[in-house]
Formats: sequence, structure tokens, C-alpha cells
Amino acid sequence: RVCGGRNIMEWSIRHPACNYRDGLGLNKVGWSHKTMVSNKTECPKHSSNFLCLTASFSPFLLLLQYHVDGNRAMFYVEDATTANSLLKVSRKITDKDGYKVTVIMNSCPPPSFINTELRPEDLENLKQCMSKRFDGSQQALDLNNIRIDPDLVSLNIEVALNRKNSMQAVIKIIEENIPELVCLNLSNNRLYRLDDLGEIVNKTPNLKILNLSQNEIKTERELDRLKGLSLTELWLSGNPLCNHFKDQTAYIRSDGQVFSVIGFDIEVSPQPLPPCKTSYFPTDEIKNLILCFLQQYYSVYDSADRQPLLDAYHDGAAFSLSIPFSMQHPSKCSLGEYQKDSRNIKRLKDSTTRFRLLKHTRLNVVAFLNELPKTQHDVASFNVDVNTFTNTLLSFTVSGVFKEVDGKSRDSFRAFSRVFISVPAGNSSLCIINDEMFIRNATTEEIRRAFVAPAPTPSSSPVPTLSATQQEMLNTFSSKSGMNIEWSQKCLQDNDWDFDRAAQIFTELKAQGKIPDVAFMK
Amino acid sequence: MGDKPIWEQIGSSFVQHYYQLFDTDRTQLGAIYIDASCLTWEGQQFQGKAAIVEKLSSLPFTKIAHSITAQDHQPTPDSCILSMVVGQLKADDDQILGFQQTFLLKNYSSAWVCTNEVFRLALHNL
Repeated sequence: RVCGGRNIMEWSIRHPACNYRDGLGLNKVGWSHKTMVSNKTECPKHSSNFLCLTASFSPFLLLLQYHVDGNRAMFYVEDATTANSLLKVSRKITDKDGYKVTVIMNSCPPPSFINTELRPEDLENLKQCMSKRFDGSQQALDLNNIRIDPDLVSLNIEVALNRKNSMQAVIKIIEENIPELVCLNLSNNRLYRLDDLGEIVNKTPNLKILNLSQNEIKTERELDRLKGLSLTELWLSGNPLCNHFKDQTAYIRSDGQVFSVIGFDIEVSPQPLPPCKTSYFPTDEIKNLILCFLQQYYSVYDSADRQPLLDAYHDGAAFSLSIPFSMQHPSKCSLGEYQKDSRNIKRLKDSTTRFRLLKHTRLNVVAFLNELPKTQHDVASFNVDVNTFTNTLLSFTVSGVFKEVDGKSRDSFRAFSRVFISVPAGNSSLCIINDEMFIRNATTEEIRRAFVAPAPTPSSSPVPTLSATQQEMLNTFSSKSGMNIEWSQKCLQDNDWDFDRAAQIFTELKAQGKIPDVAFMK
Repeated sequence: MGDKPIWEQIGSSFVQHYYQLFDTDRTQLGAIYIDASCLTWEGQQFQGKAAIVEKLSSLPFTKIAHSITAQDHQPTPDSCILSMVVGQLKADDDQILGFQQTFLLKNYSSAWVCTNEVFRLALHNL
């Protein structure tokens, strides 16, 4: 029997015991016309026993694109609950020959054949249907369980809001006709993802009340898609994510908006995220110590030969490197070169390999560092946090951005995070005992911000002789700004020794946080 | 036939009669039950001739065929007969299913009736 525009064939499937047990009625299983294996009214061999079993699940179980390939029968089902139930049946039923049937399940995005666009006449009917469900006095649109709306069903119009095309069509109709919408009810629509709904942000600026109850939303992260809506009420009851809340006063953070969950009715009290602070140093003394150390360390690290770094490491120093694990195919900017030395013990279970990848003794450490691609670090952009310090131990984490300047990945931008554990060394410096580095590709934002600050003037560059006036101006500028001589001089030079202009520029840059800490090191 | 013990003769002729009636017109099965009879059909309990016949008549298949694989009969201390049947059945166009059925027969007004009956399909994990 063919029904409706989608040519669904309906099959009556019997549970094997349905003639003998009560409560097992005939259950319909449908699948779309693409799945027709034969046009005879018989079930394909592997299906009948399997589907007999599915009859006990739901009155209407839709198997999509059912097809038989060799000794495998394959199909899609729409929701996770059904899929999991079918998976449980694996190896519990046998086919006609007595062999156990194995069920394998993979989750996947909606397959292409699902994209049934609504035809223009359907869209017009949908608009009529929606206008019936719209209450102008409240500016409220009720799309609860829209799929079973009698008007739509009688016209065979399939509107499943958990599908992109349906949601897009509905949002378009809202945008074109009722953009002043205040209240939207989307309950009972089997929504499990909100990225299609996210399109509504900016189209309905007055939307204050959103009802997403009785859907299939699994994590509160989905709500991030609704960033930009200034809701006063958000209904989430009857979603799997509700099980995550242990008590009634649980909170969800979404882009700085704090939702308080009271009996699963949500109120939004906007509260922005605190801004991210820069480096942390417990004392100025430690700050100067570390910054000075890093300045020296990285000037060697960025040079052609890293051998002098031997002086920075303890005899028994240890070093390791790791990179993020990725299944993607290697690309030009990939971290392929670092792959073989990546000591990610989450993936490396073999103790021999783990041992081999740990560089031990300063000779090995520096030899290895010398093999890594030549770099240029943006020292000005470093973020340094002191983890712990005692009289005899100082541990700090450095994160920042660098550029590879040679090799296959020349000009690639990387971001790194490096933890140092050090002890005091002679001439008030540091001696590294442990060095652990993590390298990843830099984000576009990081690349944009990198190397923007003026390059620090190395103190070894020739200082042009200054006139007495300039010298005096320099001293004044330095003491007033707090910057050291080199940086003060650069600032003044860049501004043609116009004290006021230099001071103005300095104040502006300082307010914007663009002046690196090294400028203030005397 | 003369070699077999009497309970086997009674048991097997009852069984033959039962399935022949069942397969042709099960509404006529009333004669073999009495008001005290009990039937457990796939876990459901029925008591009394009327209830039992109603259940069997209302089973939703039109055609039914039984094939007996094995049967066993025993005499009981109170002069009843215990019979057990293992076989296969096919209803309408369904697949063939295994079943097991147990009867307790009693001599009642010079006829043998079924006082207790248990029926189960041989389905596992379903």
C-alpha cells in the first residue's frame, strides 16, 4: 500500500508469538520507497525475524532506506532511543537458519536522502497552519508537536523540526511574517540539536520566552547556539539534560549568561564573564627573575644554534614534548614533524616507548631541542604564570605563540605551553630541572594578535649618540613612564623626540595593554 | 498396540484426538474439559471449560497445523495420566515455531478429560 507523497510502504510485521500471546498486536513498520527490495509483499530474509522483534518496541517504527547488501541488512532510524533499543537486541534473536543476528549501530548526521525540501505550495500551507497557531495579542507562536498538526497531516506535509529543512522553513516564515515574536513554544518536537534553531538569533529580537520542554536535548552545550537571544524564560523540562542537574538550584553558564534553574523554569540574569588576566607573579622579584631568564633563554632558542642552552639546564634535566592527538589527514600546516616525538601517555601505553621519548640529561635535552625547527617567538605576547615557589624551587608555565622560520612548515604559526621546574642558579638566574612542552597550531585569533607589539630593541644594538637635551628628555621620560632606557628611547625616537606626543602614545598603548612587561625591566 | 501400557494408549489417543480437533475446529474442544479444568496458555491462566474454550477459539489465527515430534506418558499415583508433547506448529503464513504442551488426564464419568493443561512456545529471548 502506498500512502502520501513519500511513497511509504507499510508492512505489517508479526512478532512470532503474536498469535499466542496477548498484547502483541500487529505493528506497522514503514520504510521509504528507496528501500524497496522487491515489490512482492514479503519481507527480505534477514528482516522478518529481526523486524518481528522490533514490533514489540513502538507502534510505529520507521526504518529508513532499508536495504540488503550481501548478508547485511542496513537502515537508518531517526532517534537515539530507538537505535539503542534495537542495539540491545543484538545476538538475542536468530534468523530463519538459526544464526544469531548481530546489530551494529553507528550514529551519523542526517543522510542526504532525508533532505526533502518543502514545496512552495507546502510552504504556503505551513504558513497558514502557523498563523492559526499564532496568538497576536501575546505575540506567541505555539509549535508544540507540529508534526501531528491535523492540517499538515491531512495535506501530507511533513514538518519535523528536528530536521534542518523544516526548521529553516519555519524560521523563514517567522522572519518574514512575525519578526516581533515574543514567545515561542517548540515543545515535543524531538529536538536534539539546536544549531538549526540558532538561526533565529537576530531574526527575532523581541523573543523573550522559549519553550524547549519535552525534547531530546542531551547537553546544556546545545544552549550555546542560542547565544544572542535575551530570554527571560527558558523551559527545558522533559529533556535528557535535566538528568544532569542534581538539585533544583543548578546553574548553566552560556556565554556569560547565567541561567538559574528553578524547578526547570529558567530565568536569565545576564552577568558577563570576568576578563582574562595576564601573567601572574607572586612578587616583583620573581617576576624580574623569570622575565629576564625567558628573555635570555628565548634569544638563544630563536638563534641558529641552541647549544648555549646547555647553561640553562641541570645535568639531570628532563624534557618531553606532546602535541594534540588528531585523526585528520596531515596538511601543510600540520604538526607532523613533532609527531614522532610526541609523548602523549594517554595514547602511549608501552613503557619502553614512553621511556625512550623522555629526553634525559642536559646533553640529550639540548641535542633534541637543537633538532626542532628554527623558531621565532613572540616574547612580548608570552603569558607567564607562577605555579609554585619556595626558597629552592620555582615552577612556572609559559604560554605563547611562535613562528617556524625554516623547514617544511616554514611560516606556520604554533602556540605552545611550557612548564618549567627550576632551582636557583648562580648569578641570580635559574637552572631548569624539568621542561615539559605542549605544541599545537595557533588559532586565527592568536595569529592575528601575534607579533603586533613593537619588537623589543635588543640592548646590544648601537645606541646613537644623544644630545644633552635628548639625554635629559630620555631620563625624564623613563622615570615618568616607568619604562627602561631602551624602550623609552625607542618611544621617543619613534615620535621624533616630541615628549608630549611620545607621552600620549605611551599612555594610550599602556591603557590598551599593548606594552609588554619587558619594557619595564630595568 | 497391545504391547503398550494402558496409560500410553490412552495418552497417545488423547493427544491425537486433541490436535486433530485443534487443527480442524478448535471450538469443538469443549468436550475434553470440565469446570474444574485449568489451562495456562503462554503464561495466562484460565479456569473452567467455558473460559478455556473461549480462549482457544479466540486465538487470532485461521489456519493452524501441529506436528508432533515426541510425546511421553506416565501414570500418576491417583490413577491419572500425565502427558507431555513436544512439537512444531504453523499458523496461517507464519514461520514454524516449536512448542511444548503438558496435559493431566483424569477419568471422569467413564471418559477421559483434561483437568490441567500448560502450553508454551519454544521461544528464547523473545
